[in-house]
Amino acid sequence: MFDLDPGDELALIVDTARKLAETELTPRMRESEAARAVDAGLLAAWDEVGLAALELPERHDGAGLGCVARVLVNEELAAGDAGAALALDPFGPALTTLLEVGGDDAVTALTSALDHGASRAILVIVDAVDVSADTLTLDAAWVPADEAGAVVVLAGSDAFLVTEGISLERVRGAGLRAAGAARLELEGASIAGRWTDAAGAERARARARLHAASLLLGVMRSACDFSTAYSQEREAFGKPIGHHQALAFLMVDMRMALDAARLLVHEAAWRVDRALPCAAEAAAAWAECIEASRLIGPNGVQVLGGHGFMADYPVEKHMRESRALGLLFGGYDAAIEEAGQRLVETDTPLDLGQSGAL
Amino acid sequence: MEFAIDAAMRERIEEAREVGQREIRPAGLEADRNAAPIPVGDPFFDRCLERGEGRTRWAGPNAPKSKPRKSNVILSLLLAEELAYWDRGVINATPGPGLPEQSVIGMGTDEQKERFLGPFLEPDKPRWACFGMTEPGAGSDAAAIRTLARRDGDHWILNGAKCFIGAASRSDWLLIQATVDPSKGRAAQRAFLVEQGTPGLGGFKIEKKMGLKAYESTSFTLEDVRLPASNLLGGEERYERKAGFKAAMQTFNAGRPVIAANAVGIARAALDESIRFARETDLLGRDRVRDRIEAIARKVRKARLICLRAGWLADQQRANIIEASMSKAMAAQVAQEAASMGLELLGLVGGRGDHLIEKLYRDAKAMDIVEGTGQIQRMIIARQLVGLPR
Repeated sequence: MFDLDPGDELALIVDTARKLAETELTPRMRESEAARAVDAGLLAAWDEVGLAALELPERHDGAGLGCVARVLVNEELAAGDAGAALALDPFGPALTTLLEVGGDDAVTALTSALDHGASRAILVIVDAVDVSADTLTLDAAWVPADEAGAVVVLAGSDAFLVTEGISLERVRGAGLRAAGAARLELEGASIAGRWTDAAGAERARARARLHAASLLLGVMRSACDFSTAYSQEREAFGKPIGHHQALAFLMVDMRMALDAARLLVHEAAWRVDRALPCAAEAAAAWAECIEASRLIGPNGVQVLGGHGFMADYPVEKHMRESRALGLLFGGYDAAIEEAGQRLVETDTPLDLGQSGAL
Repeated sequence: MEFAIDAAMRERIEEAREVGQREIRPAGLEADRNAAPIPVGDPFFDRCLERGEGRTRWAGPNAPKSKPRKSNVILSLLLAEELAYWDRGVINATPGPGLPEQSVIGMGTDEQKERFLGPFLEPDKPRWACFGMTEPGAGSDAAAIRTLARRDGDHWILNGAKCFIGAASRSDWLLIQATVDPSKGRAAQRAFLVEQGTPGLGGFKIEKKMGLKAYESTSFTLEDVRLPASNLLGGEERYERKAGFKAAMQTFNAGRPVIAANAVGIARAALDESIRFARETDLLGRDRVRDRIEAIARKVRKARLICLRAGWLADQQRANIIEASMSKAMAAQVAQEAASMGLELLGLVGGRGDHLIEKLYRDAKAMDIVEGTGQIQRMIIARQLVGLPR
C-alpha cells in the first residue's frame, strides 16, 4: 500500500541528520568551503551522531540500513552542506558498490583499507577501464576529494578496489569544495581486489546515482527554502517580491520540480531495498534531479537578483554545487540512455499493477 | 515507506482494464468519430448499470448507522488513471449522481438525500445529475457567478445562465450555484437542487467541443425558475453559518487529484501509443527518439507519484491543498506534452486526424482547464507558499 511515512525509527535518524545539518553544517559552510575540508569539531559532532556506517552491514559493525535510509539522510545533510556531507562520510557509494558487486569480502577489503588511517573512499564510474595484469590505469578530471585511502572503480560488470598508487592533483573545483577537489590519476596502480557481477554492478550504479541524487535534493531544497524566505522579506514596487505573480509562480514551479524529483528518488530507493528491478528507475530519478537542478539552482539566484550573485548569500553556492553534483557518476546523458533503453523493452512500461509496484 | 500496489488493488485495476479495453475505448473512439456525445438510450449505459455503475455511495434512508468507511483515495486515483487511459470522455459520460453527489451527502438534509439520491440507490434506468457552477462570465473566478437567487416567501427564484456543464440536459436534477447578492462575493452564494422540467429551466445547448466528445457539455438558462425553500441544499441554517461558497470549493478540492489521475492516464495512453508506433516504424533505435520517450515516461511517473501523494495525504486526513493543486498543475501539463510528443513521432501520420494520439492531444487540453486551470492551481499553491495575496 502506498505510504510515504518513513516510520518512527527512520524518522528519528532523519531528524538527527537534520539537526546536525542545521547546527553544524550550515553555519560552517563557507568555512568548510574555504578550508577544502571539515574541521575537527565537525568531525567530532559527526562521530557522535553515528551516521558514518549507515549502510555498512551489521556483521561489519554498521547500522545495516538500506537505500531509503541513505537518501533520506543524504537530503538532510546536503541541505546543510553537500560538500561537507561528502567529506564526512568515509565510505560513500564506494561501500555500496563493493557490497553489491563483491559482497562481504569486498566490504572487508574496503574497511580494512580505510582502517589504516586514510580518510575516505572514492567511487569512480566509467564505461571501461584500462586493466593490465594486476594493475589499473585511469584518469578522472575531477573527483570531490583532496585525499583518498581507497578508490573503487565500477566499470561494466566489474568493481575494482585500489588502495595504493592513488595520485590526486588538487584542482580549484567548481563546487563541493568542502570535500576537496582533485584530478585523480591511477597509473598502473595495483588492484587490491576485483569482483565481477553484472546484476550487482547494475544495482551498484543505481545506488550510486541515488546517493548523488539525494544530495542534490538537499541542495535544491536549501535553494528553494532560502529564496522563498528571502522573497517574503525583500520588497520591490511596494510589496514583498514573493507577492509578485511572476516570482510567485516561478517559486511554485521550483517547489513542484523538487517534490517530483524527490518522489522518484524515494520510489527508486524503495525498489533497491525490496530487491525489485531498479536500474531504470534510479537512472530516471537521477536524470530528473539533474533536470530539476537546472531550474532550481539558477532560479534560486534569480529570486535574489544581484544579491544572489554575491557570495554573501548561499544561493550562488547552491547553483554551483547542484551543477557540479549532476556531473558525477556518468551524469545526465548516461542516465537517460540507461533509463531509455530499459523503458522501450515493452510497449506498456508504466502499466499499473503488473509487478505489484508502481 | 511503501510504493506497492496490493493484490486487492491490482484486482480492481485489472477489472477496470478489462472494461476499458472492451467498452470504454471503443465507445470513446465512436463518439469522437460521430462528433457527438453517447446518446442517452445507448446500450452502453445499460451495460454500465449491469456492471453496478451509476449508483450512489449514499447508504440509503434506513441504513444502520455505521462507522464511516476508511477512505481509499489511493485506489480511486489508480482507477481514475486506468479508466482515463482508455477514454477520459467516456468516464464523464457514465451515469450516476456525479460531481454533486458528495455535496448532497455531506451537506444535504435527510429529506434531500432521500429525494435526490434515492433514485440512484437501485436505478431503474441510467440516471444522471450534474453540478452547475461555471457561467459565461465566471470560469476560474467562481466567486464571480451572477446567477441570481431571490427569496420570494417560501420560495426561491433563480435567474441566470450556466455553461460547459456536463450531462446537464440528461440530468434528473442539477445542483445550481447562485448568489443572493453579486456584490458580496463568496459569502452570498447558495446551492440549489433544481429538478429537470422545472419551468424556466431550459435553452439546453450541447456544445461542440475539440475533444472529450463522449459526454455532453451543455449551456442552459434559468429564467424565473421557482423553487421551494426545501430545494436549498442543506437548508437556510447552513448558509447562516456562511458555508455557501466553501461548500462548492470543497467539491473542487476533492476533485483535483482525480482530474490529475485522469491526466496521468491520458499521458500514459499517449506514451504507450508512441512506443508502439516507434517500434512498428523502427524508430526506437534512434537515440533522440528514445530520449524523448524516456523524458515523457519520467514525467508520467512523477505526475503519478505527485498525484498519489495528494491522495495519500487525503487518506491520512491530512491537509493537501498544496499537493492537490500540484498534482493537477503538473499532470495536466504532462498529458499535453505526452500527446504532443507522440504527434511529433507520428509525423505526417499525426496530421491525418485519425490516430488515437491525435485524439488524446485534443482530449488532454481540457485537463489543464477543468476544476481550476494550471494558473489557478499555481495561485492556490503560491498563496500557501509565499503568501500571494488574493
